[in-house]
Amino acid sequence: MFTVVAEDIAKSYSRKVRALKGVSLSVDKGELFGLIGPDGAGKTTLFRILTTLILPDSGTASVCGYDIVKDYKEIRKRVGYMPGKFSLYQDLSVRENINFFATLFGTNLKDNYETVKDIYSQIEPFERRKAGALSGGMKQKLALSCALIHRPDVLFLDEPTTGVDPVSRKEFWAMLKRLKEQGLSIIVSTPYMDEATLCDRIALIRNGSFMDTDSPSGIISKFDRTLLSVKGSRMPALLKALRADDRVHSCFAFGDTHHIVMNKSVSADVIGSLHSSLLARGFDDVEIKSIAPNIEDCYMYLDTINR
Amino acid sequence: MKFRKFIQPLEEGFLSEGDVIRAEGLTKQFGNFTAVDHISFTVHKGEIFGFLGANGAGKTTAMKMLCGISTMTDGQVCIAGYDLKWHVRRIKREIGYMSQKFSLYEDLKVWENIRLFGGIYGLKEDEIERKTELLLDRLDLRKQKNSLVRSLPLGWKQKLAFSVAIIHNPKIVFLDEPTGGVDPATRRGFWEMIYDAAEQGITIFVTTHYMDEAEYCDRVSIMVDGRIEALDTPARLKEMYNSDNMDQVFHTLARRAKRDE
Amino acid sequence: MKSFRTFISFVKKEFSHILRDTRTLMVLLVMPVVMILLFGFALSTELKSVKVAVYAPSMDVITERIVTQVDASPYFTVSHYIKEKSGFERVMLSNKAQVIIAFEENFYHRVVHDGQGAIQILVDGTDMNIGQMATFYLNSIIASCRQELMMESMLNATETLLPPVMINVNTKMLYNPQMKSSFNFVPGVMGMILMLVCAMMTSVSIVREKQRGTMEVLLVSPVKPVSIILAKAIPYFTLSVVNLVTIIFLSVHLLKVPLSGSLFWVIVVSMLFIMVSLSLGIFVSTIVNTQEEAILISSMVFMLPTLLLSGMLFPIESIPVVLQYVSHFIPAKWYIEAMKVMMIQGLDIRYCMDSVLILCGFLVVIVSASILTFKNRL
Repeated sequence: MFTVVAEDIAKSYSRKVRALKGVSLSVDKGELFGLIGPDGAGKTTLFRILTTLILPDSGTASVCGYDIVKDYKEIRKRVGYMPGKFSLYQDLSVRENINFFATLFGTNLKDNYETVKDIYSQIEPFERRKAGALSGGMKQKLALSCALIHRPDVLFLDEPTTGVDPVSRKEFWAMLKRLKEQGLSIIVSTPYMDEATLCDRIALIRNGSFMDTDSPSGIISKFDRTLLSVKGSRMPALLKALRADDRVHSCFAFGDTHHIVMNKSVSADVIGSLHSSLLARGFDDVEIKSIAPNIEDCYMYLDTINR
Repeated sequence: MKFRKFIQPLEEGFLSEGDVIRAEGLTKQFGNFTAVDHISFTVHKGEIFGFLGANGAGKTTAMKMLCGISTMTDGQVCIAGYDLKWHVRRIKREIGYMSQKFSLYEDLKVWENIRLFGGIYGLKEDEIERKTELLLDRLDLRKQKNSLVRSLPLGWKQKLAFSVAIIHNPKIVFLDEPTGGVDPATRRGFWEMIYDAAEQGITIFVTTHYMDEAEYCDRVSIMVDGRIEALDTPARLKEMYNSDNMDQVFHTLARRAKRDE
Repeated sequence: MKSFRTFISFVKKEFSHILRDTRTLMVLLVMPVVMILLFGFALSTELKSVKVAVYAPSMDVITERIVTQVDASPYFTVSHYIKEKSGFERVMLSNKAQVIIAFEENFYHRVVHDGQGAIQILVDGTDMNIGQMATFYLNSIIASCRQELMMESMLNATETLLPPVMINVNTKMLYNPQMKSSFNFVPGVMGMILMLVCAMMTSVSIVREKQRGTMEVLLVSPVKPVSIILAKAIPYFTLSVVNLVTIIFLSVHLLKVPLSGSLFWVIVVSMLFIMVSLSLGIFVSTIVNTQEEAILISSMVFMLPTLLLSGMLFPIESIPVVLQYVSHFIPAKWYIEAMKVMMIQGLDIRYCMDSVLILCGFLVVIVSASILTFKNRL
């Protein structure tokens, strides 16, 4: 029994703006599901449809077994939602914010303290501070506490880590993992590809459709090209040289190396031949290695072949 | 004593030949709170300088002071040959600025934005004309010349915003988290533009939350609690902190943070 | 019971928002005071075609001459002839005329033979500025008539010494006998302040939640959207009542407005108007998405017409006919009218029942419109 099921959801805001072009997903109980994709890919629209805030043009979906159109009232009792631009009430204190969201769901902090303890205890020392005066990381913790205070069955988090530094992001994901272990289903969206591996399953979303839905390792295992990493001293020039090579399908900078996806029909000793042709062009300190792809490689590869 | 220090002009040769920014003891205090705590660094001409730090470490405050938006409490800074304390207006002509939050006017057309910023930076009429044509070609925006910026995909907006920020060939361009929210390929396309600009001799001063982008920088500084804890090339930093990538370096350093904004 | 507790915490939160934004709160509380004081000292209006009723027991040549000249002036229109003295009050109360010119019996005879005629001018003092100016202009018209009469009698003179022609004008201000110019704008200020606090502030505060993203969270919760909205309205209702009390208090104790009518009904009708304004604010919030839009719509569509067309600055009689029709659609106009009747003329609510009923009509229409446009979703 899936907690969230969506079948072929489509939504257009106008004839030109087709936010979702028919997407399907299912999220199991206690699963952490990630929607990975850039701004404008349709993540927020999907969240709003699943949280009953807007109606899809076509397709069906259910959350906790309730239909998103007919039984929206039931769903609203059972989900926790953190919208992307959500910013709490800046002029209310930490305590006032959490109390308000608790009463919103007819409960109070005392009764549900256990549920949020793990997260809320970290901001409890600052209970009397106004939410507007909190740091980015603490604001997030408060927002997450507010979304959890009524013990929801499903948690929808729309880009909770955007604009947050890597350390706070890592902490946030650790919190999500603990929540998941308590049996909560979580759907989270993010533009950061490195966060994809922290999810049980992910959907790579681009321009309103899913390029693939699978576990991160499943998506990586489907990558059927040769992937090489290239390193040298003149990186920008190297990038241009690699792009000009007709054995190369695509090439992108990747931290201190370049990752290149090779065309399908390359010989076994592609590293050697690439090395010598680069040497011929004057790149004498190039280091080429065959590597395993990560999610970002997969996303970019799927992106190039879907374009 | 303090007063004398304040009026003292920068010494001759404060900024050496190959540098564009030198900060000594740059400080910003808000009441009792020291947001930026006596930081000192130099940025070389034409390099890509990564300015990293956790939220609340003070990097935005420091950047605001360097751009002349906020006044410093203490310290000596020379940017592009001018003393930040006395020649803010002169400095502003030598720098470009782009941030994720504000970059372009959404309700103006593409060419109107180019024209507007050309005008703001005091370019001559024929120069604006020439630049507009050049940018439209280079960014492949000729067809969208008359579209409102609002209607462009985010990735194009960012590229346009960057081009506009360096339309006046500044000595330095400050980029405040320029690549948030775009897909990985577009993000890399953006960095390729940064490389091109650097090759033309424009110094790039950039903040980011993507640690792989830190690797693209020539040198990286990492701020923790208002101080610069580390400043070197990514390779040296990785070596120093015994890490495989910049992400690990960042975590090692940022964990030392004690203050909570 | 549980949902009631939720509702109370909602109201509490709204109060916190208002009380913590001290600057806005001060503006809202101080503004009525400033306005009452400002308007009390500086206000001028122009008059045009004021309706004049004439009481002339003996319709003679001189009477006719004066009446014709009054009618010919751009400031006045003779609208009515009164047969009996007892009809004066009815004419005034029914708004058939704002000024009554009453000639004494045998006016011609008195002027020609006794050289001394008496005219009484009765002015409706409710519209203070009109009253004052009407008196001034009428006096000058009558004075010039007297001049002409004297010239003519001198030309026709057979004897060298004639008694000079005298016309004594006696002016009486009805309903506002002391001619306090402060009185009249008080209802106007009330209408405007209440409109501002209720319509503008309410819509802005609802729209702010939309912009902050908190509205999304509120909607995705079991709370009924109606109670979200009601909870928003209650603090502003309270604030409006505070303003109402301030204005009435200042009017009575500082400006010495007599408030001769029933205080009870003044407050009841004001509450009615507050509810109309609140529902307008809520209606606006359902159709706009940004605070700027909310402010613009409230100020352009509600405040400005209230200021211009409600009779607060300019008498309704002096604005173009088309706009007079438009003014019928402005709730504040009816409220201000009702307040004038009850606060200044000191009449019973019976005399402004039409305005009160129209306000009720507005309330029903706007509330149903907001319910129809309000969405359970985004």
